[in-house]
Amino acid sequence: MFFESPGSLLWLLLGVPIVIFYILKIRLRRLPVSTVMFWTQVLEEQNPRSIWQRLRHLVSLLLQLAMLALLAFAVADPYFFWEARSARRIVIVVDNSASMNATDVKPTRLAEAKRQAEQWIAGMRHRDEFALVAAGIQPQVIVGFTSRQKTVSSAVQSLTTTDGPSQVADAVALARRLLGERQDGKQQEVVVFSDGRFSGVEELSSVLAPPSGGHEPPGTTDTLATSPTTNSTAQAPVKLQIIGTRAANLGITQFQVRRSLVDPLGYEILAEVTNASDQPVECRFEVDLNDEPIDVVPLKLDAGGKWSQVFEKTSASGGRLLATLKHDDALAADNTASAVLPRREIQPVLLVTSGNLFLQKVFEVNPLVKLTVVAEAPATVPAGTVVVYHRVAPEKLPAGQVFVIDPANATDLFAIGEQIANPIVTKQDKDSPLMSHVRMDNVLMPEARALTPILPEQTLILAEAVTKEPLFFAVNRPEGRVLVLTVNLDKGDLPLRTAFPITVANALHWFAGNKQDLRESLAAGSLATISSSDFARPAKSASLLLKSPAGELKPLPAIERMTIGPLDHCGVWSIIEDPGLADSGKATAPKISDKTQADESPLLEIACNLANATESDIRPPEELLANTVTTSPVLAGLGSRPVWFWLLLTGLVLTTLEWVMYQRRVIS
Amino acid sequence: MLFDGDFLKKLEYLSLISRRVFRGSILAQRRTKQMGGGIEFADHREYAPGDDFRHLDWNVYARHGDLLLKRFQEEEDLHVYFLIDCSRSMGFGNPPKFDLARQVTAALAYIALSNLDRIGIIAYSQEIIADFPLTRGKDRILSLLRFLEKLEPQGTDTNLGRIVNSFVLRPQRRGLAVVISDLFDPNGYERGLDLLRHRTYEPHLVQIHDPAEARPQMLGEIELVDAETDSVRKVTITERALREYRKVFDSFQAGVAGYGKKYGLGCTQTTNEVDFEDLILRMMRTAGAVS
Repeated sequence: MFFESPGSLLWLLLGVPIVIFYILKIRLRRLPVSTVMFWTQVLEEQNPRSIWQRLRHLVSLLLQLAMLALLAFAVADPYFFWEARSARRIVIVVDNSASMNATDVKPTRLAEAKRQAEQWIAGMRHRDEFALVAAGIQPQVIVGFTSRQKTVSSAVQSLTTTDGPSQVADAVALARRLLGERQDGKQQEVVVFSDGRFSGVEELSSVLAPPSGGHEPPGTTDTLATSPTTNSTAQAPVKLQIIGTRAANLGITQFQVRRSLVDPLGYEILAEVTNASDQPVECRFEVDLNDEPIDVVPLKLDAGGKWSQVFEKTSASGGRLLATLKHDDALAADNTASAVLPRREIQPVLLVTSGNLFLQKVFEVNPLVKLTVVAEAPATVPAGTVVVYHRVAPEKLPAGQVFVIDPANATDLFAIGEQIANPIVTKQDKDSPLMSHVRMDNVLMPEARALTPILPEQTLILAEAVTKEPLFFAVNRPEGRVLVLTVNLDKGDLPLRTAFPITVANALHWFAGNKQDLRESLAAGSLATISSSDFARPAKSASLLLKSPAGELKPLPAIERMTIGPLDHCGVWSIIEDPGLADSGKATAPKISDKTQADESPLLEIACNLANATESDIRPPEELLANTVTTSPVLAGLGSRPVWFWLLLTGLVLTTLEWVMYQRRVIS
Repeated sequence: MLFDGDFLKKLEYLSLISRRVFRGSILAQRRTKQMGGGIEFADHREYAPGDDFRHLDWNVYARHGDLLLKRFQEEEDLHVYFLIDCSRSMGFGNPPKFDLARQVTAALAYIALSNLDRIGIIAYSQEIIADFPLTRGKDRILSLLRFLEKLEPQGTDTNLGRIVNSFVLRPQRRGLAVVISDLFDPNGYERGLDLLRHRTYEPHLVQIHDPAEARPQMLGEIELVDAETDSVRKVTITERALREYRKVFDSFQAGVAGYGKKYGLGCTQTTNEVDFEDLILRMMRTAGAVS
């Protein structure tokens, strides 16, 4: 037997004072009484027990010395050699990805995984160390190595579901790194509780050896398929506990919406449904916009089939799109999907021109434009109005959004020169949103003038001629954005090209902020990078909150650009202002307000869907299920308790015995 | 100081309200049966030759011609003997039982002296250690108090039987014998009292004990030291032993009371926590001397 803390055996010296006190105890307390004749009479009746009465003090002393010895040995933490040799260090990896929410195993796969993990933890022996790693979205060490069974058990129970993708392979790598940090001769093991639906399962399976037998008695359960495998490589062996059945599931694996590139009011929905089952399935696919049905599609999918369709709809108001699969299956998270359709705002445009049909019509055909055509520029322009100057532009351009086309005179933002000899667009900025879906290469810009931007640092050249003269450029001045296009629309073919209306539409979007075309629906578990320019309106408060689909609020940092997430649950996430601070406008520390008070219109909405074919396919791999053998955790038995526990227990028994003796001797 | 001015005032007060106590039922009326030269007429008897002519009732002879002799009841002093236990067990308690014993002795003696009775005090432990001779008259009270004041608990082996044996052999008149003691006599108190009765004394018991003697609270391993003999007894006192002790003690108390009742003796049992004045009044009420 060895001792973890042999120095604690010095506590045995406390036996000396105990013996001394015992000896001193012989000199009993003296108490004078008027007569002992009554006591003599009383005690004469107890004479038959006198032998025991003489011995019981010695027995009591021996008991006390035994208790001290037990306590001292317990504090010294003794252990046997076989204990040290059989000590284990196990990392439990629990997959809490979306597919683990499947209900083919009641109540859910995750609950079953927790239950099985608890069984392993219950088998925890003294000197064993367990750690817990969650394998959903991002591998995360929930609790590091500890010998405290209750800590690991509580950590397992604290695991929550997510709708994110599984990261079991990364979690196993993390677990192995954890194990690699400690090399002290303990048996090391990684036990994974998963449904096997994760990327890299093949690689993980390939390094797993067949069951080693040993202390793993085979057994089966009704609903569980388990494949015990052991890695015999230099790395820690991995046991994979497969949880789940090959249950059928039908899921929406793609759901996106964007504004139409050609129809200002139109939008396009991309939907994809995957049948992750071995049987053909019939169901109904419904799409609602703000709770109003806009389309219903009956679906008939073959086994393992996939259906995909683009819906073209129109709506200026925008809102929340919700796709629903009318089908009962084991995984509910992928039976619905959301998307956010940006709202289209009517844009007032003031066209100052002496007359140009192309230019007038390109604005008129845009249903989102409220066009006003004037021959001379008014003294004042309503705020938010896009002013388009054709040919004649004031020397000092007004504040606000200004589009100058074919300028004939210089302004405060550019100087004007001679006509360009060869005004063909040879280079364009393909990255600018102003040039998206626009190809101006080799477009002739007749009578284009050589323009020289006066504020070059604020100027972005969008298209230039071969001689490097700018033909189309943007100026991002503080008082408003300005676009300048030098071309004679009457003489060139630009108005006849599709690039012209698209350029105008891009320009209007750019003037409007260019942020309302597409709000991509993110896959669960993604991170989203947002900035204040993405907000639908300026924030009144510096304190912002992230509202989950379930209504939980989290404070966001008060910075211009931030990354939020991972968005671990499906639904629509919102960024809202803290109603407690919005009124005062004080930029104090953000606080989480009551959920019911945070119902103002959100600054930004982000749709989050499962959108993961791997997670929607909840069928464990067949090759793993083929070798279905249940790995029973090693039962702890008496070994779950350290030696000091039994010593203390014995000490407690002896204490009870001594207490009983004391009661019999003195009290009772 | 045990006997101060207040104590004397209380004695006077008690003597005033206790007329004829010693001739009442508490101490038994002890009017002598002896006919003699008293002043209280008792009856007539016929003259017999040799009778004293001075006792002839001449008025009867003048009227009826019969020679009748007047008889008178002869009154004698009542002798009250106080046997006060001075053993070391009487020094036990808080306040000591011996204090109450001396106060009760003083009070009863003063009342007796007030009634023109004779009193004597015998202080004893293993033997008679002090003696206050028979005396009469209230003026002796101060010397009596001084006598009592000087007494101290002493002695190693109380034996009432031996004391009474020597007491009754004294050439003295019979009378009331008031025994004031805790009666913790290893040899038994009955023998001494029996001897008093047989010698035609009228014993009266005043038994004093301490509540701690009746209901001890100690527990555990203890060395009990006998206050009288200094003998030591190692005992383990448990709750059960305490219960047994209480039973034994209560049985002893009941035995004392039963003894007094059996032989028609006055018996007063009290604790040392009682004020002597209250105790005397209680004895008087029991005797019907006061209401």
